[in-house]
Amino acid sequence: MDHAYIEDNQIADRYVMGTLPPEEVERFENHYLSCPECLDRLDLVEPLQRGFKRMAGQDAAKLAATRQLAFVAWLARLGRSRQIGFLLAALLLIAVLPAGLLLRGTAERGRELALARSDLEQERQRSEQSAAETARLRSKLEANQRDLASQRQQLAQAQQPQSVTVLNLDVERGASLSGGEPTHNVRLPARSGWIILSIPIDPPFQRSYVAVLWDTHGHEVKRIADLKNQSGTLSFSLPPSLLPPGDYSLTIEGLSGRFTFRVLPPA
Amino acid sequence: MGVDSTEAGPGPDEAAIAADLVRRIAAGETAAEGQLVERYRRGLRYLLHRLGALPDLADDVQQETFRIVIERLRHEGLADPAGLAPFLRGTARNLLIAERRKTARRRTWGDTGELAQAVAPAPSQLQSVLLDEEAEMVRRLIGELPTDRDRQLLLRFYVGEEDKDSICADLGLESLHFNRVLFRARQRFKELLERFQKQQVPVKEGR
Repeated sequence: MDHAYIEDNQIADRYVMGTLPPEEVERFENHYLSCPECLDRLDLVEPLQRGFKRMAGQDAAKLAATRQLAFVAWLARLGRSRQIGFLLAALLLIAVLPAGLLLRGTAERGRELALARSDLEQERQRSEQSAAETARLRSKLEANQRDLASQRQQLAQAQQPQSVTVLNLDVERGASLSGGEPTHNVRLPARSGWIILSIPIDPPFQRSYVAVLWDTHGHEVKRIADLKNQSGTLSFSLPPSLLPPGDYSLTIEGLSGRFTFRVLPPA
Repeated sequence: MGVDSTEAGPGPDEAAIAADLVRRIAAGETAAEGQLVERYRRGLRYLLHRLGALPDLADDVQQETFRIVIERLRHEGLADPAGLAPFLRGTARNLLIAERRKTARRRTWGDTGELAQAVAPAPSQLQSVLLDEEAEMVRRLIGELPTDRDRQLLLRFYVGEEDKDSICADLGLESLHFNRVLFRARQRFKELLERFQKQQVPVKEGR
């Protein structure tokens, strides 16, 4: 660190003012320890800086005092009645100011309280909405769980081996249930399954047919409408539950003759 | 900061002188010990003053610093003889810190005497007069400046503690002009200070 550098960068001034970075402080202290020139400089800068600060302080104090004096002079120039008026106004201000501040504080607290209440109410409403939504979702979940259980049950049933029994019927013209033994027998399946009845028809074919299933007492068991001709055959399925063991006859509206068959119990 | 064309630490002369002192003290030359004290006494004293040591404490710490450093140089020397100034500085700082810690340990809170000492004392009447005189000299110095721009420069630097770059940028000044104004201000203040000190001597002698 040489003196040109110290002078160019105001190192001594900044050291005294305390605005020099720590690394520069260290370098400068190591330098001035044996440098009478820099110590002279420091001895000069220190009172200079102190003088500037004191002068600035004095000026500020003088300015404040001048303002106060100007105010007092203005007050003194007023007439007695104005002075009394001013004094009363000042006293009133002193008396009212704390109350005003208190009222202002109270109003602020009131506003804060109202705000807090409003927030609380909103929070409560949100909480209620949330509870209702939870209940709705729970109900929906339960319904879905029920549906799922039902579908699983159906799936389990569907996965069980199904037996399908196909019965091809021939028309027995002039035959009746009481007329004799049916020529077609069908045995009910041991487990779940379906019985498919297949009936041959002759042309001319109709647009649709209606089949009626009768029991041995002549009661109608089932009516199947809207049957379509499929290559000279009408086919439809019946659940075994509809056909307890016994004799049955089937008529097709629009066609003569009936088809008889016997349902046998499962083997 | 501006371009630093110099190396940190002591200059070549200082390094050579310090190394010579270290060598001679290690060789047992008593005169070298006196030269060491003479060379660094003022700087060490100023350093302790800057670190906030009161005069009595500064005296004690300074004396203890020289004792420790000379003992060390007599028996062990220095690994870097040119680093004598940093070694002195470090020893003085450490001693002052240790002294403050010792004082802090002894302190009893609630002791009114200690509390009274802890409060910075108000300046005495004489000190106040001297401080006012310093302010007056600065006021006179400011009043003698040829331009308002130079007045602003000094006030912003010494009172506002603004840095040189921002002052120069605001006032449209060159670095050289800034340095010149500061240099002249210091010189003028020096003259005023010396004149004031000369005036004080006859007063003291007259009493």
